[in-house]
Amino acid sequence: MTEAIELTDQDWRIRLFIYQFFVDNERPPSIQETAGQFSLSENSALEAYRRLNQRHQIFLAPETGQILMAHPLSALPTLYRVAVNGRNLWANCAWDSLGIPAMLDADVEIEARHPLSDEVIHYAVKNRELVGPPHRVHFALPARRWYDDLVHT
Amino acid sequence: MLLFRSEEEIRQWCGQAGENYGEVLALAKVWDLAQLWYRPRMAPAYRGRTTQEAEQIFSQVGLVSSFWKF
Repeated sequence: MTEAIELTDQDWRIRLFIYQFFVDNERPPSIQETAGQFSLSENSALEAYRRLNQRHQIFLAPETGQILMAHPLSALPTLYRVAVNGRNLWANCAWDSLGIPAMLDADVEIEARHPLSDEVIHYAVKNRELVGPPHRVHFALPARRWYDDLVHT
Repeated sequence: MLLFRSEEEIRQWCGQAGENYGEVLALAKVWDLAQLWYRPRMAPAYRGRTTQEAEQIFSQVGLVSSFWKF
């Protein structure tokens, strides 16, 4: 939602490639894989990653430039595992666990871990309907602070 | 954004983790929000959204307080 950094058409194509690769392979593409896909140098691919990161389209590990998140997808295991079309994807949070079926317009089974007890909680989306318990989702921070520290958010 | 069974559990979590209480939404409402927020995310024409567009999505599911402003 930041609008200061101008993205090129290729940046947006790279972004879409990242998402499609992430869904298909259960992990984000490396810089080398993205560079190869677009016949770019690794440095140019990394620069595109950084522009996308500045526009909050993806989120990178600052030190390595590897993709940590492309919302709603997480590169690292979380409390929210989403089974969809024979694949297992990690969602960043409870909201994002429902973002995956919304984004893919697909049925999913979700296995969440309770933050206090580690108990497993199951819910699902079938035919665009939520099937699950009447649970609650906690939003600790107001929207204006979501990008202060995304791992915390 | 974490999932709990009840608001009582959320208060317990906030006490243990030192978190703000913030706001609490029913999972069904979060599904409504997720559909508006994420459905276009992999459309080839998607070009992000402005803060105004984001706040408009919140308002479509009744989230209009200052908590939901960027």
